[in-house]
Amino acid sequence: MTDPAPVSLLLVDDEATLREPLAAYLARQGFVVREAASAAAARSALAEGVPDLVLLDVMMPGEDGLSLCRHLVEAKAIPTILLTAKGEPTDRIVGLEIGADDYVVKPFEPRELVARIRSVLRRAQRPAAPPEDDALYEFEGWRLDPLKRRLSNAEGATVPISTAEFRLLVAFLDRPRQVIDRDRLLDLVQGREAHLFDRAVDNQVSRLRRKIEADNRNPHFIQTVRGGGYRFAADVGRIAQ
Amino acid sequence: MRLWRRIWPSSLLGQVLLAVALALLAAQAISAALLYRAAEERREQHFVGSLAVQLVAAANGRTEEFRRRPGDARELGPRRMRVERAPAPPMGPADRAEPGLAATLAAVLVEEGLATGAQVRVVSRAALRDPRILQRLASGHPIGRGFALTDTRVLLASVPQADGWWLTARVLSPQHERAALRGLVVQTAVLFGVLLLAVWLILRRITRPLAALTGRLEDFARTQNADRQLVPQGPGDVRRLIVAHNAMEARIAAMLDEKDVMLGAIGHDLKTPLAALRVRIESVEDESERARMAAGIEDIVRTLDDILSLARVGRASEPPERTELSALAAGVVEEFEDMGEPATLAEGPRVVAPVHVTWAKRALRNLVSNAVRYGGAAEVEVLREADPDGDWAVLRVSDNGPGIPENRLAAMTEPFVRGEASRNRGTGGAGLGLTLARAIAEAHGGRLVLVNRAEGGLMAELRLPL
Repeated sequence: MTDPAPVSLLLVDDEATLREPLAAYLARQGFVVREAASAAAARSALAEGVPDLVLLDVMMPGEDGLSLCRHLVEAKAIPTILLTAKGEPTDRIVGLEIGADDYVVKPFEPRELVARIRSVLRRAQRPAAPPEDDALYEFEGWRLDPLKRRLSNAEGATVPISTAEFRLLVAFLDRPRQVIDRDRLLDLVQGREAHLFDRAVDNQVSRLRRKIEADNRNPHFIQTVRGGGYRFAADVGRIAQ
Repeated sequence: MRLWRRIWPSSLLGQVLLAVALALLAAQAISAALLYRAAEERREQHFVGSLAVQLVAAANGRTEEFRRRPGDARELGPRRMRVERAPAPPMGPADRAEPGLAATLAAVLVEEGLATGAQVRVVSRAALRDPRILQRLASGHPIGRGFALTDTRVLLASVPQADGWWLTARVLSPQHERAALRGLVVQTAVLFGVLLLAVWLILRRITRPLAALTGRLEDFARTQNADRQLVPQGPGDVRRLIVAHNAMEARIAAMLDEKDVMLGAIGHDLKTPLAALRVRIESVEDESERARMAAGIEDIVRTLDDILSLARVGRASEPPERTELSALAAGVVEEFEDMGEPATLAEGPRVVAPVHVTWAKRALRNLVSNAVRYGGAAEVEVLREADPDGDWAVLRVSDNGPGIPENRLAAMTEPFVRGEASRNRGTGGAGLGLTLARAIAEAHGGRLVLVNRAEGGLMAELRLPL
């Protein structure tokens, strides 16, 4: 990151034992960090000045993090990363559903947190980023729920896919029947979890094929275009939820 | 035996109804038999009496009768059916002998001094095949009252006289035993219907709430959710059962909720300081020291996660979803590939089973991790198998390691048991991996099977019902 102005963060967590060393660590990483010990304190801090990003603990006495998060996203449009001790998938969905940009489970690797902060900020700054559309993708009976990241096949059975595969599939589904070359594909799928994507795109494509193709050696959906890249060879529809 | 099992109903309602029906049938059959026998005896007595009176009267009043009606030498007796006097008994081979009646009648006649035992003969024949009756009909004389002649038999009793001629008396024997039998059958059927209906109504009052309770129990066993409890209904005993069940259900649910809250609190209270610690060690200058500390914290976190997961298995908030297991297995294998671990997925059929994706992944991950750690490499297969217990989706992880001594196989899925006691935590983990895998398999209604392969190495299978 070569931003001229330092990035300002607001760290909201009721646990001083975590908040203080984390604030110190983030400050060492070059962020300007303000701290708040409760949702109420966070609101008054927001009144003083709007940070570039908010790190928010979900479980706090008084007003909890989710409620504050809703306020941040709806009223202020401030990028938010949730911090929580829970790791159940439903919690992740709830967090993302109300509009948090990312979700980090305690205890986390501090470097990973920094990477995610940068990733969220990068996305927030990219003006081209379209608003998240929660309509279902539909192709030949298969369905992809972009919000829950749930893929189901033509028989309605869930097909578990990783985050990276989800992004890759969305990139394809947004551009059906178009040839997408490898560089473009890499660019499209580089999101908040870019670090997951340092492998070759080809490897990711072959993994995705393993999950959605009936025959890997003779792919039906994701076809290789000689000298070009890949093409998603099915019509894709959208179904509003 | 198999037929019996098929006929014998399995439900309470069916069994009681069948038992009552059978008992009723037996009781009715016995009483019908007794009634029938009594009626038969009465009829027999009536016939014997009638025949005896005719014969005695005929024998005693013979001369007088002759005198009164000289033209008709063979007609004797004042009764509607005249006693016949003939040189031989008018009986043929087509007639049915009635030895029982004959014996009784003989006893009476011997007492009257009219015959000597064995000489009395009694037969019966269809009324319309008796020449005397036909003769009477032809001459316009009525025969009795209210007899349907087609359905009537006639009893003939013959007794020899001193001059060698035979006296033969007749009595009509209407088939009214059949009518009596019909009445008995109708009565039984009505009783049957009324009683069974009453029993069925009462039983339904009992079994309906029982069935509801059974459904509720199954439901509760699956969801452990105490909402929408049953309203007590039915007879008092069943009501009390339902009330007691509701109380127990509420207690179990409360305990489980408490456990969840407690675990949540433990998780939160331990993870926050761990997170703080993890942040603090970033300020440690020595790179290798910092890495060791980070690994230590990671180890604690993993163990904590395993313990919390073990306590939470089976308390899934969402129902299982039909999932493509090959894709699930591929996802897990790829995680290991990403870490440079030797795990591979064999080509296999696409198998869909209802699972909790996060849990199933976790169980498989634990098995693969064990195979990589102790067996050098993991080979994962997804299969579909059928055995007498049903159809199974099988997630099979094989390795080429030393396997596990047979006598320790069973203990391996107990908590905190590790394959090699000598191993330190650095490689051994907390010993919860297989326990968790087993708990997850069981929460799905399946099993974890550990087998030493004939060709060496361990084979671990998660068998999940399809």
